[in-house]
Amino acid sequence: MEFFLQLLINGLVVGCIYSLVALGFVIIYKSSGILNFAQGEFLLLGAYVFLAIVAQANVPVLPALLLTFAFSTLLGLVLERVVLRPLIGEPIISVIMVTLGLSSILRAIVQGIWGTDTRPMHAVFSLEPIQIGPLPVARGYLYSAASVAVLLVALTLFFKYARPGIAMRATADSQQVSLSMGISVRRIFALSWSIAAVVSAAGGVLLATMRGGVDGSLAILGLKTLPVVIVGGLDSIGGAILGGLLVGVLENLAGGYLDPIFGGGVKEVAPFVALVLILMIRPYGLFGKVRIERV
Amino acid sequence: MKLISSALLVLCLAASAQAQQEIKVGGIFDLTGITSDVGKPYAQGVRDAVAWTNENGGINGKKIRLVDVDYGYKIPEAVAAYKRMVGDEKVIMINGWGTGDTEGLKVQVNQDKVPYVSASFSAHLTDPSKTPYNFFVGPTYSDGLRAWLRWVKEDFKDKSRNPKVAFFYGDNAYGKSPIEAGRRFCKETGIDLVDEEIVPGAFQDATSQLLNMKQKGADYAYINVTTTGVSTILRDAKKLGLPTKFGSNPYGFGESLPQVAKEAAEGVTGIMVDVPFGEDVPGMKRLVDFHKKNHPDDTHDTFYVRGWTYVLVWSEALKRADKAGKLNGEGVKGAFETLKDFDLGGLTAPVTYTSSDHRPTTTVNIYQIKNGKLTKAKQYEMERKPEWLGL
Amino acid sequence: MLSGEFHTSYASDMGIFETRRAGWVLAAFIVALFAIPFVAGSYWLDVTNRAAIAVIAATGLNILTGFTGQISLGNAAFLSVGAYTTAFLANHGVPFLFACPLAGIVTALAGMVFGIPSLRLKGLYLAMATLAAHFIIEFTSSHWEGVTGGVAGTSVPFPRILGFDFSNDSRLFFLVVPACIAHLYFAKNLFRTRVGKAFVAIRDQDISAEVMGVDVFRYKLLSFAVSSFYVGVAGSLLAYQARIISPENFPLGIAIDHLGMIIIGGLGSILGSILGAVFLTLLPEVLRLATSALSGSFPHLVQLFTPLKVAVFGLTIVLFLVFEPDGLADLWRRVRNWFRLYPFSY
Repeated sequence: MEFFLQLLINGLVVGCIYSLVALGFVIIYKSSGILNFAQGEFLLLGAYVFLAIVAQANVPVLPALLLTFAFSTLLGLVLERVVLRPLIGEPIISVIMVTLGLSSILRAIVQGIWGTDTRPMHAVFSLEPIQIGPLPVARGYLYSAASVAVLLVALTLFFKYARPGIAMRATADSQQVSLSMGISVRRIFALSWSIAAVVSAAGGVLLATMRGGVDGSLAILGLKTLPVVIVGGLDSIGGAILGGLLVGVLENLAGGYLDPIFGGGVKEVAPFVALVLILMIRPYGLFGKVRIERV
Repeated sequence: MKLISSALLVLCLAASAQAQQEIKVGGIFDLTGITSDVGKPYAQGVRDAVAWTNENGGINGKKIRLVDVDYGYKIPEAVAAYKRMVGDEKVIMINGWGTGDTEGLKVQVNQDKVPYVSASFSAHLTDPSKTPYNFFVGPTYSDGLRAWLRWVKEDFKDKSRNPKVAFFYGDNAYGKSPIEAGRRFCKETGIDLVDEEIVPGAFQDATSQLLNMKQKGADYAYINVTTTGVSTILRDAKKLGLPTKFGSNPYGFGESLPQVAKEAAEGVTGIMVDVPFGEDVPGMKRLVDFHKKNHPDDTHDTFYVRGWTYVLVWSEALKRADKAGKLNGEGVKGAFETLKDFDLGGLTAPVTYTSSDHRPTTTVNIYQIKNGKLTKAKQYEMERKPEWLGL
Repeated sequence: MLSGEFHTSYASDMGIFETRRAGWVLAAFIVALFAIPFVAGSYWLDVTNRAAIAVIAATGLNILTGFTGQISLGNAAFLSVGAYTTAFLANHGVPFLFACPLAGIVTALAGMVFGIPSLRLKGLYLAMATLAAHFIIEFTSSHWEGVTGGVAGTSVPFPRILGFDFSNDSRLFFLVVPACIAHLYFAKNLFRTRVGKAFVAIRDQDISAEVMGVDVFRYKLLSFAVSSFYVGVAGSLLAYQARIISPENFPLGIAIDHLGMIIIGGLGSILGSILGAVFLTLLPEVLRLATSALSGSFPHLVQLFTPLKVAVFGLTIVLFLVFEPDGLADLWRRVRNWFRLYPFSY
């Protein structure tokens, strides 16, 4: 029982980070219809920039965090303008390939500047676990769960009540109508990319502090969050959150119970098997909007 | 016209004479792949040692030209690089890296008669009846694991039962290399192997594997991945509050471990094949001098030292082959097999190769991290058993 | 000089070549191609063989994605199915002439299985399902040690026809390139037939196609099958060429590379598959030559080679998609027309 609970808690916490990155995906998709395969690289870049600011410029944590967010905002704006703007209207496969190409470029830039060493991050949280009932839970995990919760609440409120948030939802529904209502669709695209980049950077910083170091493998997370957004539905924020938690738990439970049978590797495959099964039953994900096609 | 053609002729002769003064050695390194955390310092060590050798007389006057490439720990890239180096560049021998690609190429290397000195210490490369052209500098992974298990048996104070041990290893040839030897040795020495956990090549989080191990109640665990993976496992174990004592392999233990894993690395043991950088041994002086002269701002570690030891060994083999007038693949292989107790100034144990046994040494040094520093715990002289050759 | 298309019969309208001269030029090109093994060094023969194998795989993917509009990220997985099937058969003594087509058929079956989701899924969601297929197949090949040798992989013996050993790259050339030409010919003809036109109809507007009487599901499965057959044959040839195969030969990057090839080459164009595959196979080699030439003055370039390779690949894709979305095939057509119409080109 304890084994199961431990796996569950670990899964929920890892799932929080997945939710965060998935949110970035969903925000971009919801407003501009593009699936951004470079989301994992936003996370990577955010983590590395944070590390560089903290370690080399010796800036304390909070201002460094704000600087990292500023950088991510800039990154999102630049990428949207330079790369994605010319591709409006192109078939979806071109858009997928552009973001894949972008992810390669970003990953290569990170590798070129910082190399592939693990760079140690000085400890933000101590490694001593906190006891919740019978289970030791890492301090870093609790902080990240808390931060994710705060971010999620903030974003949900933003989309519901803030003017830019409502404008983003309108643009997602119909770009032409939004334009005729006076919403600058261009600005909305730029805003959505910036928010997505910032959210990913937050995830990257959290992951880095939890793991104690930064290295190139953080980008793998981008690939892992694909099942999350599909399971949750590409245009649902609630779906992204739920999907992240679900996939995190599924991964850990599969790893814990099935790894000994198969000799390892089940953890990585399980989310994708779940993906296929869910898609067969609900082709638009659990919470996604069903697209009505007209000829 | 005549002047130009004669000038060209002179240039050509000079160029070919220059070429004859060069010995081409291939280098296949991992600078960007999953083992690059130890691959990069090793490659730097090899490059520096080659430069130092060329500055100090080369191979009986001839310069070594290192044709190096980064293969990112991907076997197909290694195979392509090998084809290019042997087919086009015509290198005389290769300083390779990973277990997977070295074991994959062993048949080809034998066919082409190209001595292949790998960073991999896999015992599968030590039997000259199967792999006569493979060499390396250090005790085999299997001997290392056996020595560590012996240390476990001595360290375990509870005499009422056998110590319980778990193996953590990567899902590749390097990870799996010593496991069978470890399983058999556990049976022979009275150690209970209670769990084996496999981790993927690159991983963020080892919690579910550690939880599995916790269920089986292992007292000790051996980790067979490189330093980055070891740090992750140690940190996750600390977060789970596990009492298990960890030990690590020759590519998973070095100066970076206490830096990245911090307090989680305290008390962890590991196999050190070469001394830490800057250690007070006679052979260290030339490394420290070269470092001061050429890149005083870099940090170096034991893997950098390892690169140096490799060049020291194979450049000696090249020198001997050259003196015997047999500067070709077969000649170099023969020259390796004349090395007996070849001394490396304390950087690592002396090496011996014979035509029937390519195990260079059976000395295993177990170090332990105390107060964030690597300190020598025990030295084992493993027996040179014939049934352990090739396992 | 050709100033426009002017056909006087259905046969010439549907023909592969617009003019007879184009056919002769192609024949001359093929003859020149077969001279390569006698002049090139062993490494460049290796590159040529790899390029030819990539052409077959890219053509397969183009049939599925470019002509039928089904986005597939599973190419690497299907390549591995073809390769492992071949390794298994060859190691059990099945000769090359049976092993290769058999591997293609097995892969075609696997393709049909993973094509079943295409009944319900479109676009992005289908891409994700094929991505899942990739990981599932990768997991299987790493763990089914009895058949695939697990993580360490298996070695593959030489192909042998009537006692003649194709033991090196220059001999292998005479297997790979004719296979490539045959497959290209078949593909080109496929799109002159009813089946091919059904594929294109599905890509353009599948609901209308269904209304017009095209059995969409059946043709989608057929497309997956044909495409996977091509990729399976490519995988089989790859196994013979690489001699040692392991799951590391088939990472997701390969699927992305193939997609890049058909996009850079031109979706929905056979010429595009050829151009894209050759271009993307030669790109890392050119880069390697450049970095080794410059490494004398910039010694750190060796370390940067891998990120540079990745960056250049990404940059090429992005630049092509932004500036040349119809690919190299379209570029070629424009250049060729310019020369054809000279001095009246515009």
